[in-house]
Amino acid sequence: MLNIVVMIKQVPDSSEVEIDPVKMTLNRTKARNVVNAADLNALEYALRIKDKVGANITVISMGPPMADAAIIECMARGADRGILITDRAFAGADTYPTGLTLAATIAKLGNVDIVFGGDETTDSSTGHVGPGVAEFLGIDQITYAKEVDYEDGYVIATRDLEDGDEIVKVHTPVLVTVLLNSNVPRHQSLRKKIDAIRKGVESWGINELGLKPEWVGLRGSPTIVRSMKAIKEPEHLHKTITLDKIDEVVADLVSKNIIKVGGK
Amino acid sequence: MSEFDVIVIGAGPAGSSAAIKLAQGGMNVLLVERGDPPGTKNVSGAVLWGDELSKVVPDWERSAPIERYVTRKEVAFLTEKSKIAISYSSQDLMERKSGKIIVRGKFDQWLARKAKDAGAMLVTGITIDKLVIDGGKVIGVMQDGDVITSDAVIVAEGANPRVLINSGLRPKLSDHDVALGIKETIKLPENVINERFNVDSKGGYASEFVLGFLDDGILSGGFLYTNRDTVSLGIVASLDRLRANGMTHSYDIMGKFEEHPFIKNLIKDGIPDEYAAHLVPEGGLASMPKLYGNGYLVTGDAAMFTFSNGMVLQGINYAITSGILAAETILENKGKISEETLSNYVNKLRNSYVLSDLYTFNGIQNVTWSDFTQKTMPKILDSVMMSMFDERGMPKKHLMQVLSAAVKSNGMKYTELISSGYRMMRKM
Repeated sequence: MLNIVVMIKQVPDSSEVEIDPVKMTLNRTKARNVVNAADLNALEYALRIKDKVGANITVISMGPPMADAAIIECMARGADRGILITDRAFAGADTYPTGLTLAATIAKLGNVDIVFGGDETTDSSTGHVGPGVAEFLGIDQITYAKEVDYEDGYVIATRDLEDGDEIVKVHTPVLVTVLLNSNVPRHQSLRKKIDAIRKGVESWGINELGLKPEWVGLRGSPTIVRSMKAIKEPEHLHKTITLDKIDEVVADLVSKNIIKVGGK
Repeated sequence: MSEFDVIVIGAGPAGSSAAIKLAQGGMNVLLVERGDPPGTKNVSGAVLWGDELSKVVPDWERSAPIERYVTRKEVAFLTEKSKIAISYSSQDLMERKSGKIIVRGKFDQWLARKAKDAGAMLVTGITIDKLVIDGGKVIGVMQDGDVITSDAVIVAEGANPRVLINSGLRPKLSDHDVALGIKETIKLPENVINERFNVDSKGGYASEFVLGFLDDGILSGGFLYTNRDTVSLGIVASLDRLRANGMTHSYDIMGKFEEHPFIKNLIKDGIPDEYAAHLVPEGGLASMPKLYGNGYLVTGDAAMFTFSNGMVLQGINYAITSGILAAETILENKGKISEETLSNYVNKLRNSYVLSDLYTFNGIQNVTWSDFTQKTMPKILDSVMMSMFDERGMPKKHLMQVLSAAVKSNGMKYTELISSGYRMMRKM
């Protein structure tokens, strides 16, 4: 049977994240935590392959202990096993050690045929992690997939590129990053959710993965954030104009060379 | 052998209170909630009156997310240009801490967490399709084709009782059974709220309004509660009347309420944060489903346990109490669940304020949802107040003469006023 790993991340619901009007920083405290939406699309393709040919699906996520709820949700949608990669040593990681840590997890699982992930997360939108994992593992990768199928040892995917679609056929093992909204994820089932809660989520730390502290977390991150700047939205000039004033407005715009009136 | 002792449908005040009580009694409980997290499907003001929760969570006020305590309670009639209010501020009310202003999104999540801590299995983000009935007995619930079994089910699904309807255990809701509520949450700085509503940072203002300025035929109440740094503003409109007057939409009513001169100033410069609509049980005894059957009990809004006499709107306390009583009934009959043993739930409800209040105030809907209360009364009161307070250099009249003139000018007979007024006082 196929072994599939789906990489997911718990993120604050982007529709509920507010920008602090004074500090100009993101206020995530009010936003509820959800599974990164594109990851659910990735999971759905994994589940479709499971429905078609049978597969063991393991969901993995690197994050704080409370991220187990996101993994349980994926199990309630049909994944078989959940592993939370959590350790203080992993804190502050940029995309490089994140990729390394996830790759180490997949390597430890062993015999993985397909690795899925969303193409990017809504909270950082780098799109680095999926390709990074493939490189660390030394396997082929398919990015920007909007359709994914599996047949006789091959993943057949349609990539959504700027100048058109590209259909590729890649032999396993392969890593696939899936575009947001490329399918409709199935609902959670009560039966599966009860079973998932009873089964629980495994927790792996730096020792289980055999990684060194200097390779992971902040210490293993080559990115240095020097400063952050909030880009202010330009002020929009709103004016309410009643119809009887329209001639004045037109004359004003013509005088400022903003518009031209035909024939003149 | 069932998978669970009890399945509770809905992690609102009724469901979570029931689950806590059952788990404390050593039962294997599954608490299933549609919202994720609990409270996200709720639209409520809200004021929680009383202290029933201390029966299952001692010292609950210490950890509960309470926004403010009601120290200023108002009941007001709004006409187009006026507001006639009974305003009660009291230090005793402050000391008693009887009315807790809460935000249900936070409160329900907190209470569901208490149920989980007590040992219930909390499952969120799942909607139950219906109860599974086998040989006349409820043996569990159905979701997405799967059957999860239990010895008993507590239905605490709220004002839109889909599970009961899908299970054939109550008729579909009619316009008499429910009203339509709309609530807006408006952000205002805490100190602005304190100043504007004349409360200190612990104290809060809660007000119910009769919206007497609406178009003929449309009946709607309004409410305004101060949270810590938001204000909950909303309406509860009669569906009957909305349907009969097709040109008026519920959001028009909300818009007019927000724009009313005496409301507008209270929410000035506020930033709208949430806007949502929900059904509100209003039918009382006549709309109530059967409260128990072989293997199931109905609690809270799903049982239509709400109270409104125009002076106060209550429901959360009825939900909590009914949830606890349902749990008690099941605990007392462990291993011998039947229609007969569960019927004791109704006795418990009758002995508590839940059903007593519903019987005492049976028919109150005909008073609160009447043109007399919502249209004529505000106009008469407005005429009376205006003649009392507007000095025009004319000889003054006795109150009775003023009242009589006000009644006449509003096209009513004095005897009608007395009989309507008497009926109203009796029902309230």
